[in-house]
Amino acid sequence: MLPEVLRREPLIAGPLTAAALDEQVLSYPERRPPRAWFLAFAFTASVMCLGFALIGYTVYEGIGVWGNNRPVGWAFDIINFVFWIGIGHAGTLISAILLLFRARWRNAIARYAEAMTIFAVMTAGIFPAIHVGRPWLDFWLFPYPNQRGLWPNFRSPLMWDVFAVSTYFAVSLLFWYIGLLPDLASLRGRAKTRLRQIAYTVLSLGWRGTPEQWRHYEKAYVILAGLATGLVLSVHSVVSFDFATSLVPGWHMTIFPPYFVVGAIFAGFAMVVLVLSNVRRLMGIENLITMRHLELCNKVILGCSCLMGYSYLCEAFTAWYSMNPYIHHTFLQYVTGTYGWAGWLAVVCNVAVPQVLWSQRVRRSIPAMIGVALCVTAGMWFERFVIIVISLHHDFLPSAWHVYKPTMVDIGILLGSFGFFFTLVLLFARVLPVVATTEVKATLPGAQPEGVTHG
Amino acid sequence: MAERVFSVLGLFETPDALLAAVPRLKAKALGRLEAYTPYPVHGLEEAMGLRRSPLGGMVMVMGVLGTLTALLFQYWMNAVDYPLVTGGKDPSSWQAFVPIMFEVTVLFATFTAGLGMLLLLNKLPAFWHPFLDSEASKVATRDRFALAVEAEAGLLDAAAVSAALKAAGAASVETIPEPASARLVSINALLGLAAAGAAACVLAGAFMYWGIKLFPTLPPMSHMLAQPRLDAQMPSRFFRDSRGMRTPAEGAVARGGLPYPFDKDDQARGLANPLPRTEEVLRLGKKVFSNNCLICHGPLADGNPILTAAYGGKPANLQSKKFLDYPEGEIYHTIMRGKNAMPRLGDGFTEDERWAVIHYLRALQRAQHAKDSDL
Repeated sequence: MLPEVLRREPLIAGPLTAAALDEQVLSYPERRPPRAWFLAFAFTASVMCLGFALIGYTVYEGIGVWGNNRPVGWAFDIINFVFWIGIGHAGTLISAILLLFRARWRNAIARYAEAMTIFAVMTAGIFPAIHVGRPWLDFWLFPYPNQRGLWPNFRSPLMWDVFAVSTYFAVSLLFWYIGLLPDLASLRGRAKTRLRQIAYTVLSLGWRGTPEQWRHYEKAYVILAGLATGLVLSVHSVVSFDFATSLVPGWHMTIFPPYFVVGAIFAGFAMVVLVLSNVRRLMGIENLITMRHLELCNKVILGCSCLMGYSYLCEAFTAWYSMNPYIHHTFLQYVTGTYGWAGWLAVVCNVAVPQVLWSQRVRRSIPAMIGVALCVTAGMWFERFVIIVISLHHDFLPSAWHVYKPTMVDIGILLGSFGFFFTLVLLFARVLPVVATTEVKATLPGAQPEGVTHG
Repeated sequence: MAERVFSVLGLFETPDALLAAVPRLKAKALGRLEAYTPYPVHGLEEAMGLRRSPLGGMVMVMGVLGTLTALLFQYWMNAVDYPLVTGGKDPSSWQAFVPIMFEVTVLFATFTAGLGMLLLLNKLPAFWHPFLDSEASKVATRDRFALAVEAEAGLLDAAAVSAALKAAGAASVETIPEPASARLVSINALLGLAAAGAAACVLAGAFMYWGIKLFPTLPPMSHMLAQPRLDAQMPSRFFRDSRGMRTPAEGAVARGGLPYPFDKDDQARGLANPLPRTEEVLRLGKKVFSNNCLICHGPLADGNPILTAAYGGKPANLQSKKFLDYPEGEIYHTIMRGKNAMPRLGDGFTEDERWAVIHYLRALQRAQHAKDSDL
């Protein structure tokens, strides 16, 4: 027996049997949700409707209703896109990299984080689609034979982005669904009404759980994790290429791909903490998603925060070392210009505030971690604002300089994107198992035969 | 025998009990063994004698195929079919194709791993498997472990299997009957499927038709185009005759023009064409004719145009005997004052344009009635 200080806190609080786990998690979609769920849903759905109404207005009227104007051609639309794509990365990291590292604590939170990935990518996908101005022509982005005899330019990072984001979405969706499959089969087993039985049989594709099926399944899951690992690193790298391969001072930097990837994981974990710390209480699953899980997420946030600090310093150093007056000027704009406050806000929220997580008391306090997560979310949004708007608003020719101001439509669509994301998060909690019960069951004490340890 | 047996199934409480029962039933060789577990029980695959999953190899092959597909497609599109020079690079430079090659590799590999596992290797969806109707399926996805002995070639000694399972430690035993008929191929299901397919085709067709017809032509961002300004030939709701283009007031003289004094065509008979018959003049005449006269009189001026049917009137055949001999002055007068259904058009042209179109008309007439000496 290990001494008290060396003993690890268990991943599941209290005794738990497989049947009790099923009852706790899988009965949720069968019950009428509590009043708090309806209130939250009504709120987020209203905000979502506001966003979609404004998107409709934008499509009808044209993107002139946004604040974008030369030389700031990319503003809230692209900021929101980069922000939301980044949010998804935590889910992929948890489901893929932590699976390969055999970090067992991921099992309880993987399902929710993966769902958040999918919702975040869906939210992100709205923005390039409406940013092009005539969204009904979005199919022009894809290489299809046409009467014009034209093909997309595959050397353009914007084209890489189309492929990276579509691939990311497809892979995340498939990964998520395959993880969900045995749980859907469990829901079918529990189904009391004929309708539920048919629905869950169809959704679970008639999964039976034979050894033959499981061996292909486990193999597929590991392969998918390996493939998704590549995506964690590549998707935001490709997003950063949109900037890094251009010649705009402040964008043309080699630090961008790792800087973007770390930022994405950072913001993603903040969102995971924000959602899970509330969901576990709302759904009464504190014994499954324990304080230890949240603490581990907070440790990831702390680590990423330090890397963000390094990236900021690296950017400053590169700017100074470049001896390029344009880059010097752009960097000074980050910290002293019209939008200097945004630059400092990003530094404080992303680097300074998360340092409080060095204290274990803060890491294990729900209000404190929600505060930090909110700071990081805001900070990461403003970091993209700094990168995109500040770099663009003073370009090479002083005669073209322009102070960008968002319109009410811009702000409304940003709020609407949060509404859309949280609406999906709430709907997910209502209709699907929020914890990967199959994975948790397989690692419960006594779940595997004697002498065989679960990988 | 009342109904044929698909399999006899025993439920075990723990994975250890299941794993211990597998070799005992295997030794009895009563039928094909099958297990149903709520999660992967390790050691069971080996006990059941299953080989490694071939999925890895499939994913590898498809992944490489994805890489090559992406490389060849990009190369063909940007270097062969429509060579595109970007940043001064050779159109055939391949380095910038790498990100998309990576993405397509992942995409191919993922679909192979995911869908290949589900559809090919596990043969899902399988909604009509007899196991799904059993009582055991309700708990075998929760915390019970089922071991079934399936009938081989329709033969199974249910009683013997049942006894063997109980002896091996099964908590309960259930017999799963062979389904009465293959439910998938009922006439109703086929008819329903056909109807749904037809409806889907019609819907998709209508959607595509209107979609392709309307969507690309929608002009929502038309602020620059939609101005309160009248373009040529546009209707106007402001004027009573709804014409945007106005006829000048009586007696108005265009800048650079001269007043036209005649009212009767015989007065104009004496006017002579002041322009020489040069190529330049004929080209100007052709332009004026094409833009203004052709629509009614036809491309050969034979009164046989596209619009005759639409308007009901019969424009003059300028190739007829009457017009071959028509004095040029009278043609000029007709242009200026109109005739019968023909409106007065002369105000829209300069003096040169009027006479040039007469030259062009004469050329058309001569071309249609060419003499041998013209050749």
